[in-house]
Amino acid sequence: MERWQLILAVIVVYLAITLGIGLAAGRRSSKSVAGFVAGDREFGLLVMYFVTGASVFSAFAFLGGPGWAYSRGAAAFYILSYGVLGMAPWYWIGPRVAQVGRRMGYVTQAQLLVGRFPSRFLSVAIATLTLVAFVPYITLQMRGAGIVIEAVTDGHVSLAVGAGVAYGIVIVYVLRSGVVAVGWTNTFQGIFMLAIAWALGIYLPFRLYGGIGPMFEQIAAARPELLTPPGLTASGDPWTWGGYSTAILVSAIGLQMWPHLFMKAFTARNDDIIRRTVILFPTFQLFLVPVFLIGFAGVLFPETPPSSDFILPFLVLSTGLPALVVGLFCAGALSASMSTGDALLHGAASVVVEDGVRPFMDLSDERQRTVMQVLIVVVGLVAYWQALDAESSLVQLLLGSYGIISQLAPPVLAALYWRRATTAGVVAGLLAGAGTAVFFYIFGELRPLDLHEGILGLMVHIPVLITVSLATPAQDTEHVAHFVESRTAPFSQPETHHA
Amino acid sequence: MSLRRTRWAAAAFLLFFLVVVTWPGILPFNRVEPRILGMPFIMAWQTGLLILTGILLYLVDRVEARERKK
Repeated sequence: MERWQLILAVIVVYLAITLGIGLAAGRRSSKSVAGFVAGDREFGLLVMYFVTGASVFSAFAFLGGPGWAYSRGAAAFYILSYGVLGMAPWYWIGPRVAQVGRRMGYVTQAQLLVGRFPSRFLSVAIATLTLVAFVPYITLQMRGAGIVIEAVTDGHVSLAVGAGVAYGIVIVYVLRSGVVAVGWTNTFQGIFMLAIAWALGIYLPFRLYGGIGPMFEQIAAARPELLTPPGLTASGDPWTWGGYSTAILVSAIGLQMWPHLFMKAFTARNDDIIRRTVILFPTFQLFLVPVFLIGFAGVLFPETPPSSDFILPFLVLSTGLPALVVGLFCAGALSASMSTGDALLHGAASVVVEDGVRPFMDLSDERQRTVMQVLIVVVGLVAYWQALDAESSLVQLLLGSYGIISQLAPPVLAALYWRRATTAGVVAGLLAGAGTAVFFYIFGELRPLDLHEGILGLMVHIPVLITVSLATPAQDTEHVAHFVESRTAPFSQPETHHA
Repeated sequence: MSLRRTRWAAAAFLLFFLVVVTWPGILPFNRVEPRILGMPFIMAWQTGLLILTGILLYLVDRVEARERKK
């Protein structure tokens, strides 16, 4: 057997296990929409831990993380800071979201917002926004999977076939088992990517430099500019402090606002599971340390990869590791890609149907599930078609999407914590904030101090939300009481339960 | 510690975290030496903050859980 065939065999075994877990997971969940979208609100701690970790850290972290450390040095450290900063407030916000969700029957973020601020426009705007932000994100995951498979099989399995097979499997298990499949496959994939990242991150510096200390000593002597923030930009010039600092801020604010992560609050069996997931999140995030070590290990490597995102497969292939290890590495990268991709596909379809279609059409539970399944295939195909077309602008688009997604933070906080917020205020704020973010995304050179466009958007968004809310009549106190907990009494019960 | 004070302390810590990883609060820590476990100081410092946050959240949870039981 040739080397690439052995590597391919490892990948095939990994994919088969993933498919098996995904299909087996769905046997217990109900056939309802609540089952498909929110897993009957039955996720336990183990699954929530890995769903959260593995969905947050995608192919971008696994391949892009080393790529950033390799080409932009300490600029990558911003990823180390924002995750836990964005996750910690969720200790308090997450259970609150879950409580409102259980009481009012919500399974998506937009349902929560529209429940508090009734507006069809808001519902459709969020559904559209989700789709626009998700497609390039899914495309990137697919390309990541395809690139790795093509690289480690010496081109015997092309990007198109590799991405097609990996995501064919994702689509099969998501269609069959919904979010429960996402949960259990992410558990398997999460364990895999953690193990591979730690093993390689410690092994490579020792193999190439004789240790982590000697590695950084040599980098400090040859390329000292790579070791302290703000590091470099993609073109190799020094990055600005404004850019570095606001990248942390906007990512921390936006992190939990990604609909596929936000919605997981509705899947937890109870509030303690959400709280413990937050407490344990730093242990998952620590895997960025070996990920960066892998990237730094490539800095002084004599040959250069075709592109910085290839540093990980490149190093793995050119250091003469046994085929089994290369195969396992590849499976780790596929885990990172597929564990985010499945959550995104599932999230996109759920949101479009629940928030974009249902407010206008009466659909039976069964019909809704069918429409979601069709949409998963359609979104998957659109993303796949884009993945085959090597457009570097997609990465730009993804970075830009944080600017838009972060605009969901003020409405969510207002819905849960501010009694005086009104529908007009929230809609006006969202339009002003998203408009500002898009404007500065397109005219990037106009941004003051290199601040992230999402932060500039929030600087307009928040004052508009507050001013317009105060200028319009307050909402009915009884209505507000379903969402904002009063200091003296817990939530009031709604008179009618939505299905 | 009371629930109120615990929450204030948690908020203050997260604010501190944000300040020392962004400009200008990051500047005093933004150096390569002394290296810790072989890593540049700034990388080890940010990793340490990550671990510390996990520990503090665990402590916060103990207070919150005690309070919820009441």
